[in-house]
Amino acid sequence: MCISTKIVISVAVLILFPSIVLGIDWQQLIREVEEQYNGHSSHSTMQMKVRTAHWQRRLTMEAWSLERDHFLVRIVAPAKEQGVATLKVDKEVWNYLPNVDRVIKVPPSLMGGAWMGSHITNNDLVKAAHIDEDYVFQLQEENAEIWRIEGIPKAAAAVVWGRIIYTVRKADRVPLLVEYFDEEYELVRTITFADIQTVGNRTIPLKMIVQPIDKPEEQTVLHYENIAFDLPLTASFFSLRELKKR
Amino acid sequence: MILTLAWRNIGRNRRRTFLTVSAMVVSSSLLILSLSLFSGMFSDMLASATEQYYGHVVVTADGYQQEREMFINFAPEDDFLNTLDQAPQTLGVSPRLRAFGLFSHADNSYPAELLGVDPQREEQVTTLGRMLSGGHYLLPGEFAGVVLGAVLADKLGVNPGDELVFVTQAADGSIGNALLTVSGVFRTGATGQDNTLALVSLPWLQKVMALPGRVHEIAITVTAPLEAPLLAREMAAQLPPGLEVHEWSTLLPEMREVLASYAVSRLIMALILYSAAGLGVLNTFFMAVMERTREFGILMAMGLRPMQVRLLVMTETLAMGLLSLLIGLITGGLLTLYMSRVGIDLSGYLTPITYAGGTILPRLRAEFAFDNFWIPSLCLLLICLLAGLLPANRAARLEPVRAIREE
Repeated sequence: MCISTKIVISVAVLILFPSIVLGIDWQQLIREVEEQYNGHSSHSTMQMKVRTAHWQRRLTMEAWSLERDHFLVRIVAPAKEQGVATLKVDKEVWNYLPNVDRVIKVPPSLMGGAWMGSHITNNDLVKAAHIDEDYVFQLQEENAEIWRIEGIPKAAAAVVWGRIIYTVRKADRVPLLVEYFDEEYELVRTITFADIQTVGNRTIPLKMIVQPIDKPEEQTVLHYENIAFDLPLTASFFSLRELKKR
Repeated sequence: MILTLAWRNIGRNRRRTFLTVSAMVVSSSLLILSLSLFSGMFSDMLASATEQYYGHVVVTADGYQQEREMFINFAPEDDFLNTLDQAPQTLGVSPRLRAFGLFSHADNSYPAELLGVDPQREEQVTTLGRMLSGGHYLLPGEFAGVVLGAVLADKLGVNPGDELVFVTQAADGSIGNALLTVSGVFRTGATGQDNTLALVSLPWLQKVMALPGRVHEIAITVTAPLEAPLLAREMAAQLPPGLEVHEWSTLLPEMREVLASYAVSRLIMALILYSAAGLGVLNTFFMAVMERTREFGILMAMGLRPMQVRLLVMTETLAMGLLSLLIGLITGGLLTLYMSRVGIDLSGYLTPITYAGGTILPRLRAEFAFDNFWIPSLCLLLICLLAGLLPANRAARLEPVRAIREE
């Protein structure tokens, strides 16, 4: 094989399958995807619409985050639930209930329970941040546009999902779809991302649609109305005292 | 004449009679006692599932028992409740709203199952109010009080008078949350109830769950729990549309199996205990007949027919059987009475066992049941007759001449 052929092949491979040649660190890529709304720190307002067979509701929330271990979110509207707030620090979650003026730490038995009545669970808040530590990610397939990256839990990890597949757009590394499977590799839930926008120097999807597969009539849609990154927040902000502010 | 003869014969060898009778008395009275203890254990089990939780009969909206879905509820009509109240078989009728959620006190949070009830009505259905280990039962009109299981209270670290937060997802999707004050703590010994169950007032729970006026079930206790299946079938015909009725044997099919196997094992036990006693009786009568060969010979020589000889021996057996039965019933009844009033507490050696949906308490307590008296009685008489038959036949077949000559 002459040198020119080698170069041609290399260039072709590089163009067609840059990931192989570039040796992309999938763990790192997924970590970046999961932290897309965090940055170093962030402040956002969002709308959450939850639809089930029996009711629908729409919440407006304000949220703050610092790295991936600190997260505070508070309901702003409707008035009935104003002030209900969730604080996550590392792997623990507290809820504040203004009605009774009490802070309640979510016990391990309820980590799988719905968060604020949505299709997002408390575990999603805690485990998603550490997904790259609990799963081994590998490229499953790719085409010119996207990568499909499969995550399989590490042997020792205490995880919820048996398999996770991320579909990530190559051009800007924006996630389009995440599929969650149970231990039997049965599809349980999907999160679809939409409304991709550039905010500051980041390109992120502002809309997130959580769809349980066994209940097609139900859905949670989270829509970021405003998001700002890299603010001067410190860890001391994410305190129980702050949680109780209305 | 035969009766007189039989009676004299029984009285003639008192020691023999005494031994035979006492064998039968001991076996029958012990059998009655052990069957009554069995009944006591079973009724403890059934009570833990019904009188401490379900009730004997439960009326729900269609599909609730299968789905256990918060949204399958109904608004009970006053007319319907009145009809249930007035039915002669019902002891108590309690409309209830159920809810699952989180109890929280200080840093402790544990899942709990709440029953929203009218305290006065509930008191006629479940016995939880009589099992308080502290505090008081919900008072009529007490809005935000809670009576909860002892283990749950321990885990939460609450005592009567303390505040609790209840958090759940309400029927409108919002996060239902409200404060409760611990009124009382009950201890049933049944793990299911003590670990997770709590009674609150119905209007309070309806408000928190955003289900005003709704209930999930009407729990009913009846005078004869074992006839609940029959009653449920009768009620099913008269229910308002959209409602269905269940009774404990369909709610707890395992319990029904236990009951069925108990009925069989009762018979087997009776047979085993009595076959030993029966062999004793058989032996005694054989000896008695052998001893009296000469006497039978003379009787027959005097014109007693073989049938009459047979009848004589059988009458003796039966008379002894009846005598034993009488004493056995009295002794068994007294033992049962003692064990039902006093009983033996085994909680120092055993822990409660939950089995087939019910809890077996660590105590020996007897319960009176008609079956436990007539089945042993009937078996005793049958065994007696069987044991008498062989010697009676032998005596009847004697040839007078040879019998008289026999030494």
